[in-house]
Amino acid sequence: MDKQIRILAPHSFREQLSRRAFLKAGTATAGLAVVLAACGNSDPASTDTSAPGASGGAEFTEIEGTATGDWSRKIAKAGGALAMYTWGDYNDPELVGALAESTLGVKMKVDFYPSNEDLITKLSTSNGQSGFDIVVPTGPYVPQMIEKGLLQKLNKDLLPNIVNLDSNYVGQPWDQNDEYVVCKDWGSAGFLYNTKKISRDLATWADFLDACQNEASGNCAVIDAPWDFCSPYFWSQGKSANTTDAADLDAAEKFLVDTLGQHIKAFDSYPSTKIAEGAYSIAVAWTGDARQAFSRIKDAKGNPEDWKWVLPGPKTQIFMDTYAIPAGAPNPEAAHAWINWELVPEVSIKDLAYHGYHTGMKNMEQLLKELAPDLPKPEMIFFSDEQVATMEAQEMNVALDRLVEILNKTKAKAGA
Amino acid sequence: MAGTVAGRSRRGVRAPRFALALPAIIWYALFFVVPIAYIIYYSFGTKDTSLLLPVDLTRLTTANYSQVFDATFFTVFKGTLRISVIATALCVIVGLPVAYFATFKVSERWRAVILALVVVPSFTSFLIRTVAWRIPLAPNGSLSRFLMDLGWVGENGIQVLETSVAVQIALVYNYLGFMILPLFVALDRIDTRMREASKDLGAGRVATFVSVTLPLAGPGIVAGVLLTFIPMCGDYVAATVLGGAKGNMIGALIASQFGGAQNWPLGSAMAVLMIVAVLLTLVVGAAVVWLVPRAFGLLAPVGERVRRAIHGRAIADGARGARTGRGAREPERLLLGVWTGCVLLFLFVPIILVFVHSFNRGQSFTIWSGHSSTKWWGELFDVGVAWSVLIRGALVIVGALVVRALLRRFTSLPARAVNWIGPVGFAVAVLLNWMLTDRYRDVFVFSGVGDAIRNSFIAASGATVIAVIIGGLAGVALARRPGSWTKAFMAVLFLILVTPEIMDAVALATWFPRFADFPLIGSIVTDGWGPFNGGINKLWVGQSLYASAVVTLIVRARLEGLDEALEEAAADLGATPSRAFRQVTLPLISSALVAGGLLSFTLCLDNAVISTLISEAGSTTFPVALLGATRSTIKPFWGVGAMILFVVTMAALWFVAVVLRRSGSTSSDIAATLTGGS
Repeated sequence: MDKQIRILAPHSFREQLSRRAFLKAGTATAGLAVVLAACGNSDPASTDTSAPGASGGAEFTEIEGTATGDWSRKIAKAGGALAMYTWGDYNDPELVGALAESTLGVKMKVDFYPSNEDLITKLSTSNGQSGFDIVVPTGPYVPQMIEKGLLQKLNKDLLPNIVNLDSNYVGQPWDQNDEYVVCKDWGSAGFLYNTKKISRDLATWADFLDACQNEASGNCAVIDAPWDFCSPYFWSQGKSANTTDAADLDAAEKFLVDTLGQHIKAFDSYPSTKIAEGAYSIAVAWTGDARQAFSRIKDAKGNPEDWKWVLPGPKTQIFMDTYAIPAGAPNPEAAHAWINWELVPEVSIKDLAYHGYHTGMKNMEQLLKELAPDLPKPEMIFFSDEQVATMEAQEMNVALDRLVEILNKTKAKAGA
Repeated sequence: MAGTVAGRSRRGVRAPRFALALPAIIWYALFFVVPIAYIIYYSFGTKDTSLLLPVDLTRLTTANYSQVFDATFFTVFKGTLRISVIATALCVIVGLPVAYFATFKVSERWRAVILALVVVPSFTSFLIRTVAWRIPLAPNGSLSRFLMDLGWVGENGIQVLETSVAVQIALVYNYLGFMILPLFVALDRIDTRMREASKDLGAGRVATFVSVTLPLAGPGIVAGVLLTFIPMCGDYVAATVLGGAKGNMIGALIASQFGGAQNWPLGSAMAVLMIVAVLLTLVVGAAVVWLVPRAFGLLAPVGERVRRAIHGRAIADGARGARTGRGAREPERLLLGVWTGCVLLFLFVPIILVFVHSFNRGQSFTIWSGHSSTKWWGELFDVGVAWSVLIRGALVIVGALVVRALLRRFTSLPARAVNWIGPVGFAVAVLLNWMLTDRYRDVFVFSGVGDAIRNSFIAASGATVIAVIIGGLAGVALARRPGSWTKAFMAVLFLILVTPEIMDAVALATWFPRFADFPLIGSIVTDGWGPFNGGINKLWVGQSLYASAVVTLIVRARLEGLDEALEEAAADLGATPSRAFRQVTLPLISSALVAGGLLSFTLCLDNAVISTLISEAGSTTFPVALLGATRSTIKPFWGVGAMILFVVTMAALWFVAVVLRRSGSTSSDIAATLTGGS
């Protein structure tokens, strides 16, 4: 520990990853994967723990399911304790509790972390002794974790149900060959506004920024994270939110700090409850939270009809959270068994009904109809291919420090 | 500790003056000074996220400091300072009458009740109580609608949330206890004979308060201000939950550097600068407090006239008071009583709301859906198991009480022994259920919350024991054995209080892996010890730092000024130092130890920032879990969890109180005898 560990990956590795477009499966992926492989070692971080010995130990049984179509429903008993480290309230409690024990024979304990950085700090400061078997990092953080040797490779033989995932949600830029992570779920972001307070139609990020400076001045909320805060400005200018161009960043700072800052009421990543409390008249929100806002408003005896949800143009974001197994996990076998079980369509939809994010299953529209027909607002869970085509994922690049600085300066300005 | 001191002095070798503080010195050196030194070292590094720890120390630079010196840092710091100063002043103004009322105006029994009520609300999660303030303040909430109907507020409802006023309310709410308790401990120490003497000499109530009580309460006010102002400067939970853009605090800015930005060097530099700035503020504050009376001293003739005027009125008052007897004091007492009642109500509003909203049928903790339901209790508990635990526990306890009644009636066993049957029955009931329900895991359907409550409890209890022992000894040493070591020790103590929690968190999290290589003790902390895993042991270390500093200050404030005659008398009577410590000093500081222990326990129970970074699989505490849950909507079952935490804590403290009372009577008897005899 006294000596710092430097990872001998080519420095261009992450830039190359990040320049790749998100969710362009198929030929483009294959092509770029070849290019990347040609650049040299495509396995930059070698973890000292390898996945549990070949398919040897696991015996799979096929379980019954109600969804029609061709699905893999193989599960393996595992046994022992299984420690999961995840975001708060992010799985159906039964699936990480009683049901996991009766189906797989694993006793689960679930701990929560509030941010990806906390997860990374926890894993990197504990020398592989953190004791967790499953962690749930967000996509763009995965390369950094691989580089640092914090994750171990998955044993695909223990994950037969991975075939149930839509090909759009595998082979992501942060893990080309699905060696380290499996899609848990994904979502997007847009904004909600009160049509009683803002009577005109808003459809784009430019409309949003304009409303904040006018009707909603002093009553608008934005997400409290550097990239998520700054990206609407770049999109409103027709730029990529992952720009590293100095002039773009300067322009963003000038607008966000000097023009927008004074109008912001709160930097709030989960505005749904506060929308219902009446705190804002317009707010940026992630889809799962925005979807909940409507039932919150009803709870608070407000009128959900007063509120309009917009998935703004020209572009908006996409994020994906993933299941991964940390290096040094005490029970990787149970971790594989659980992740594999979670990929059974009925289990996956049960979880989806709890947290409200798309779990990446094939034929999601049909699954929702068959297994969860009463789920409210499915249009905020399931997006069309056209919508997905307008979504951009965060990349970890050199601009991040600058975005943090812009966010902090804006906060200082808004609070003054 | 005391034993070794005694042994050495009997052989004629004097123990060093800091001997009693030695545990604290070693503890702070290992878990504060060295780890923090590493972090300060980081502030000269450069950010490099490709490293396991994202700081490159091969290229040292002061660039981070020049980067901090820009408008952002100082704008935010100025706002933080304004909010903290106002909130601290409000704490003094609100808290002093309560402490004064509890100390001088009520019977001993009521005093205990008031102090208990001040502390009780902090026995459930600080985070959920802060969130609960959103309920009455919401612009669409019931209170707001009611006030709108009355026409007292505009059509947009109450506009307090997302402003610095909301942050100030929450800060006063959260830190009031840390002001009232030290004030009480200091006031309680004042010899009532001094106040009586002042009155006998003709001074009125006001004059007595201003010229006798207040100066004697000085150390308590100072301790209270330190315990509230400093953590307020680093606090950002209240600001995050209630403050919106207008309540931005410096703690959040620093945390964002360690968190989102992963820029540890800049974060360290900011933290170092913040510590310097807070200390400077305290120095300026102290200078003002020191200068003002002296400035008045220069105007002695005026001051003399003022004093004479007060004196004259006081004599008149006194004469009137003598005529009308006790009656004249009633209005003042009533006023203080009403004030205290209002303050207690203020302290209890959020906890009542937490209780009510745990029965909310809706999906969100803060928004009352208009229907009550026990569904969230059912979501959290396996109802069958929960009932059987309660019934089993009740049967055992009732059984114990029956046995006690029978023994009392039919045997001649000493009452003291028989009285132990109640607490023992309670302990048996708890242990029995512990064993039959897999450490209470089976009670919970959603075992995460159950585990978190159990972990919170184990972590906070252990850390409190550590804090009371090392803090108590250090406090005695500071008050009784001052010397050249005092200044350095106080400096470290100050640094512990003033260092932002996030910096401690990163310092400890990066220190433990290094510490693992230490022979013997290293493995205890990192790998676990006995039934406790390494995560719990790390939490004991992490949570005990701040808590022990608090205990030290309170014990010191208690002993300082209490003259050493008692201990000397004990020595003259031939008591060994260890015996004198046990039988004289300990009873003298027992109220401070209890107060300090309570504060430590609530601090540890609420610790979120340090615990988040250093806990491991299986040692997540309730605030850590709840902090994670604030990422999405807070469901009402967190309210249920908070209530369970509250009930369990109350039960445990009741148990400790009973045990202390049953076993503690002997030593206080001795102290009383000695006091009477001297």
